[in-house]
Amino acid sequence: MMTMTVQTASTKKERKKGKRWTIHLFPIPALIIYALFVLYPILAALSYSFYSFNGFSRESFVGFNNFITLFTTEPYGSMFLNAFKNNVLYFILQMIVMNGLAFLLAFIIYKKVKGAEFFKIAFFLPRLLSVIVVGFLWKLILNPNFGTLNMLLGKLGLEELQRAWLGDPNTALVSIILVNCWFGLGFGVLIFLAGFQSIPVELVEAAKLDGAKGMTMLRKIYLPLMVPSILIMTVLTFIQSFEAFELVYAMQGSMGEPYFSTDTLAVFFYRLAFGSSTSGSSDAIGLGSALATVLFFFILVCTMVFLKFMNKKEVQM
Amino acid sequence: MKKSNKFLFLFLFVMLFTLVLAACSDNSDDTSTNSNNSNSEDNGKKSEATEKVKLTIGSWRTEDVAKYEKVIALFNETNPDIEVEFNPTKNTEYNTVLNTALQAGEGPDIFHLRPYAAGLKLAGAGFVEPITDLKGLDQFSDDYLAASRGEDGKQYGVPLNISSTQFFYNKKIFADQGLEVPTTWDEFIEVNEKLLAADITPIAMGTKESWLLSLTHGIVGPGVVDGNAFADKLVTGEKDFTDPAFVESIEVMNDLKKYFPANSEGLGMEDIRTLFAMEQAAMFPLGSWEIPVVSELNSDLDFGFFPMPSKTGNQTVTTWVDGSFAINANSKNKEAAKTFLEFLTTKEFGELFVEEFKMISALPGITSNDELLSELSKTVETNSTPYYWVINFVSGDPTTKSVLETELQGMYLGEVTPAEVAQKVQENAEISFEPFK
Repeated sequence: MMTMTVQTASTKKERKKGKRWTIHLFPIPALIIYALFVLYPILAALSYSFYSFNGFSRESFVGFNNFITLFTTEPYGSMFLNAFKNNVLYFILQMIVMNGLAFLLAFIIYKKVKGAEFFKIAFFLPRLLSVIVVGFLWKLILNPNFGTLNMLLGKLGLEELQRAWLGDPNTALVSIILVNCWFGLGFGVLIFLAGFQSIPVELVEAAKLDGAKGMTMLRKIYLPLMVPSILIMTVLTFIQSFEAFELVYAMQGSMGEPYFSTDTLAVFFYRLAFGSSTSGSSDAIGLGSALATVLFFFILVCTMVFLKFMNKKEVQM
Repeated sequence: MKKSNKFLFLFLFVMLFTLVLAACSDNSDDTSTNSNNSNSEDNGKKSEATEKVKLTIGSWRTEDVAKYEKVIALFNETNPDIEVEFNPTKNTEYNTVLNTALQAGEGPDIFHLRPYAAGLKLAGAGFVEPITDLKGLDQFSDDYLAASRGEDGKQYGVPLNISSTQFFYNKKIFADQGLEVPTTWDEFIEVNEKLLAADITPIAMGTKESWLLSLTHGIVGPGVVDGNAFADKLVTGEKDFTDPAFVESIEVMNDLKKYFPANSEGLGMEDIRTLFAMEQAAMFPLGSWEIPVVSELNSDLDFGFFPMPSKTGNQTVTTWVDGSFAINANSKNKEAAKTFLEFLTTKEFGELFVEEFKMISALPGITSNDELLSELSKTVETNSTPYYWVINFVSGDPTTKSVLETELQGMYLGEVTPAEVAQKVQENAEISFEPFK
């Protein structure tokens, strides 16, 4: 090989070519690590979904049986549907509350209110906490008998609003989603603020000279130019919503309590694959992998559609 | 020309380097296993020379290392020739680590066996040495031995400790209100009503964490069904969960809700423990393991326990075996391991265990300095009923026990009726519980 390179690299052009060729070899060590620790586990999980398991030992190839069981056998079928619905609500509420609020706050900060820097940091601060800490903190705040929220409601004379926020199936999921909004707000503000700041000043000034004001300004100038940021946040929120696990696990445990009202697909997966590891029952690693595969492809396809849509929009502008 | 050569050289060097690294790691593995082998061979030779045998113990009790050192010291007083090493693995990883080791024909000489189905699965797979004739086993009650007895009728483990669940009560609140410890079901309800009338929360209980619900059913259930008689018929399949007495036990659970604290649907383990320890509730239905935890929260708290009073006149605490010690079928030192297990059946060990671990020993007649624990131990020996949710209904996916838990939670939230709870539990058990099939 060495001698071949020596021979072919005799002219300038060919020397350049050789250089280009070798350069492609350099990512190989990184690729090996990537393949070993990222690709291989993904493919392994994919293959596990086609096998039956007894405990941790893999048994026989069962084709699509795990997938069929997951969707048609009770209680898995209704658990899947219930968890999926909760994930959808997770996404919708986060889009409206978290991203809506983040957009507004970013706009206000962009307009250079007094203390803009302070607010930027203040909104981002929760994000620096570990999710487990956030869960613990809000569990205390939302505690029905000692918690600050119910105490505050009592002081304000709103006793009828006091409730077991995390124990009542009507409020538990919404409470957790709102905590997640509080947690993720700062990140949204940062992304949107960066979006606003990248709008060329000349454009804004020109529009102002043309007499655009207030809502017109927002609708005709800011909003169209913010579409890339909005789409990025949509994609990120989507992925995060459908992978929602930590906060539910930290606040409600692996059963999605109470009565599965806070169950999400990822929590359901955890319960399937690892939930029964200390009991006598066989672990449903096959079923868990099947659920993980479904979740992976669902997120992949939806994200790809989003991104395609995003590219089109960008081209239009 | 030279530049491209340099790059190629660098690339080859990198590849070579990674190969060497890989080879190195392989080598190191080899050498380490080799050295292990040679070590054990050495040990073997040594033991021939000096008669000193080394035993390892596997367990999920990483928090008990210091306590087991004391146990081993006591063992060495009478068996100086056997060296014992307690080598625990984190609770949540123990099953995996042990299973993998056993499947490879390795693992510790003695290991902590999970009770009932989970541990017996290992015995069924031939990883556990039968110890049916072990000296001292005959002292244990048959129920406790059953926790580690295989389907083949052979004994696989020496039971270590018993967990029991019962009502704890605040002695001061009871005295202040002029209440006596209830001995019948009607008295139990009366106590609750009187406390409620005096504006004191009768029962510190929350329904947010569903595992607390099967536990409470384990305590309260025997109050309305004839505890042992029902459990005996249940496990043989003579009775099932559609039995009116069982449905009543669920209805009773629902009726008790009015004695729970406000917002009980939002309260978890920590909340109810705090309520009881801070004397804001009079009774606390939980396990023996809570005694040191509650005492630590409030050392001034004067509390006792009472066995569940029932409609049939029995009074029971609900018990199960929490773990056993077993011998690895592949162990090279089975005789020494048997000596150690025999030691675990002695009174000396039982007394040290209760003293140090603050748990109820599976051995009969062991007393402790801790008055509450001592009394509880006595009651466990005379008035116990099996906690059949843990003993018999932890198979299936989801397990029958977890179906009971979630459906009870649903009941407390008004989503299902007690009859529906019993029905769903029955449906699940019919799939996974042998006698119901």
